[in-house]
Amino acid sequence: MAALVNLDADRTAVEAARRDPRAFEALYRKYVAQVYNFALYELRDPHAAEDLTAQIFLRALGGLRHFHEQAEPPDSSFRVWLFQIARNALSNERRRGRRHPEAPLDTALELPAADNVADAAAERADLRAALAAIDQLPADRRRALVLRFVNELDAREIGQVLGRSEGATRVLIHRSLQSVARSIGRGREARKGTPAQGRRRAAN
Amino acid sequence: MFREAEEGAIQSDAYIDALLSGHARLPVALPVADAAPAPSVRRVIRTLERGMPRFHPSFLFEERLAEQLRALADERYAATPVAPLVLRERRVVIGGAIASGVSLAGAAMWAWRRRPRATERQD
Repeated sequence: MAALVNLDADRTAVEAARRDPRAFEALYRKYVAQVYNFALYELRDPHAAEDLTAQIFLRALGGLRHFHEQAEPPDSSFRVWLFQIARNALSNERRRGRRHPEAPLDTALELPAADNVADAAAERADLRAALAAIDQLPADRRRALVLRFVNELDAREIGQVLGRSEGATRVLIHRSLQSVARSIGRGREARKGTPAQGRRRAAN
Repeated sequence: MFREAEEGAIQSDAYIDALLSGHARLPVALPVADAAPAPSVRRVIRTLERGMPRFHPSFLFEERLAEQLRALADERYAATPVAPLVLRERRVVIGGAIASGVSLAGAAMWAWRRRPRATERQD
């Protein structure tokens, strides 16, 4: 039986960039926002996120010759490789003791307005609670959720970025969601329990 | 216990896939209720899928970095040796040397075989 092989959608662009580094720009334009988002969710500061994004792409262009689609792990893609560079760059930043995010996730990110005004308050309260709960998660869990929901990577790809199996990554994401759900539930209970406090919070 | 978690994880994963595929042109149907994750997890998934903001870096930053990458790419392109050509030239040199070596050996062998025998020389 033929094995199912995941072909890299960027294969042609990567080959072109390997032959002529000037063709790297197409890959840069495609992924700059994704990499920036990943950095911004971790660092919570637009300038720091831009600095790190620049570092990541300069490193990627420099190391493109060392990227092999069929190297470990199998069926790896350019996108996964790029996020592996991003993850390492973030870890290095942390190790050097620089750029520890000070702002909590829910206040650092500008939340979008909800379409329906009636649902807006409840939705925003849930989202704020979810982001506050994500903030408390260990780094790998937090990164897995950002990669899944913001960058829309699948469990296999996230596993490759984080150095885990696909199954373990799925469980990691599921447990993170359960933990966020518990936090939201506790928050909702607290809001119900103290209506005066709830009103004061809503007014803020 | 891991097996139980894995089952729930597969359900959550399928549910996220179905919601995220709504951003694509060919959405996948949401899993039926008994194959879907618990209501509280479903709610979190919906909240994160709809609410987690996506950002774009500033135009100025994007163009400045593009410029920087272009400069580095030009530098690398100029510094890249024309490797395949060099390899071919080297192959030609090695092949030529072997061919000339073989022909020299052949000529020597031919000359040795054609040398006048001692008995012929006495005549």
